[in-house]
Amino acid sequence: MIEFQQVTKRYSTRAAALADANLSIAKGELIFLSGPSGAGKSTLLKLIAAIERPTSGNVLVNGQNIGKLTASGLPYLRRNLGLIMQQQKLLHDRDILANVMLPLIVCGETRADAEKRARAALDKVGLLDKANVEPMSLSGGEQQRASIARAIVNRPQIILADEPTANLDRGNANKVLDALKAFHGVGVTCVISTHDEPVLATASRVIHLDQGRILDEQQAIKERA
Amino acid sequence: MITWMRQHTFALGRALKHIFKPRSGFLLNMIVVAIALALPFAGLTLLENIRPLSQQLAVEPEISIFLTMETPRDKAVALANDIRQIVADKNIKLEFVPREKALSNLNEKSGITDVVVTLGANPLPDSYILKLPGLQDTAEAARVDTIATQLKAVTGVDTVQVDSTWVKRLAALLHVFQVALLFLALTLGVVVVAVVFNTIRLQVMTQREEIEVSRIVGASDSFICRPFYYSGALLGLSSGAVALGVVALALHPLNDAIGEFARLYASEFRLVPLSVEATATLLALSAALGLAGALMSVQRHLARIR
Repeated sequence: MIEFQQVTKRYSTRAAALADANLSIAKGELIFLSGPSGAGKSTLLKLIAAIERPTSGNVLVNGQNIGKLTASGLPYLRRNLGLIMQQQKLLHDRDILANVMLPLIVCGETRADAEKRARAALDKVGLLDKANVEPMSLSGGEQQRASIARAIVNRPQIILADEPTANLDRGNANKVLDALKAFHGVGVTCVISTHDEPVLATASRVIHLDQGRILDEQQAIKERA
Repeated sequence: MITWMRQHTFALGRALKHIFKPRSGFLLNMIVVAIALALPFAGLTLLENIRPLSQQLAVEPEISIFLTMETPRDKAVALANDIRQIVADKNIKLEFVPREKALSNLNEKSGITDVVVTLGANPLPDSYILKLPGLQDTAEAARVDTIATQLKAVTGVDTVQVDSTWVKRLAALLHVFQVALLFLALTLGVVVVAVVFNTIRLQVMTQREEIEVSRIVGASDSFICRPFYYSGALLGLSSGAVALGVVALALHPLNDAIGEFARLYASEFRLVPLSVEATATLLALSAALGLAGALMSVQRHLARIR
């Protein structure tokens, strides 16, 4: 589903943010990216979402070469991705419901349908009762769950989450991860970057990065209760 | 098609929401653009009111032939044949105006009966009014002057007055006014585009986050740009409407002054607002200028954000 072939990404003349990365992610996998700040985790996610283009090499998503995607083709790729960032990037001039409806409005859904589906997405992350409040009134964890609702409302095939549990307490971090795991449970491919050791300890597949290089891939199938 | 309309409705809604947002600065920008548009609109209104005068009169030039006071009536009537021979055109209209009728007309139209009475005798001579067929080009216009010179040489003719002369001057003046107005409109059109450009630039900057989020969730460039295009077009359109309203309102006090002046010349001339077609054209043009400013601004500033 996602493939990196000798991918290097450089920002201006600095050292490579990602160097000679080779990676293959199958459909329906749940993958965690780990590594210190500046290791290249965010760059890897941005390359999948085509927010950045590779300096060299190929990034393939569903067989499509992201580097060769035209500007008009980008929106169609992103409509199949759910992107969750460390900063939730919720729009403060509208309520949570309108924020979650945005990806559907962008695709041309009717307001009524968009509202119905946005409410369902908010229900899945346990925020239905906060649908009509402003983002600023929510806690950090609630804002992150709202951004998850926005990411999944379009029923994407892939969810990319960049440090979704950073700055959250354990309780809220667990709620966010539970929500993401629930989507993985219904076949959605999830790529999550995190520093969170307890989370990484329970992960089935972790990709370690350092200074732009993939160090090793710890792939251990662990039985969970 | 339905999706396309839905997305346009959404974009229009976003644009209107921004317009009516407190402290959006839309009202002030609208006033600035309206002032810039009001000047050429006022000029155009004036031009459209004066143009028919010059066109109407210039099409059928009129020559007034005043005879000498000594010319007896029978000789004066007989001069009609001489005039027809000189003009040599079957399509002319020649009307003999006896001095008595001329005085009566003067009394009726000018309202200076008291002055005429004090003169005692009728001071007006017999005259002819010669109406020539419409002029098609400048060569025919020059022929009018030749005819006038020939008529002046006829015995019994005192003065020949080509009534279209002042019309020609007015037409020339109007042409100068028209060219000046065109330059004014072009200059102020650039001002309008610049104001809209800057307004939309600020709007793009303030909505930077929304643009970024929309891109992330899969919005196309058209989806992102459309609300800004609507904002620019609405700014142009509303400013155009305000400018036309101001011009229409200004006609009232102007007409009071013009009416008084025109009555002195026994005229009912009044300035009227532009026709519905012209008004619609100007509104469309204003919206187009706003749209042009928005297009330029959005293309330039979205590329930076990208």
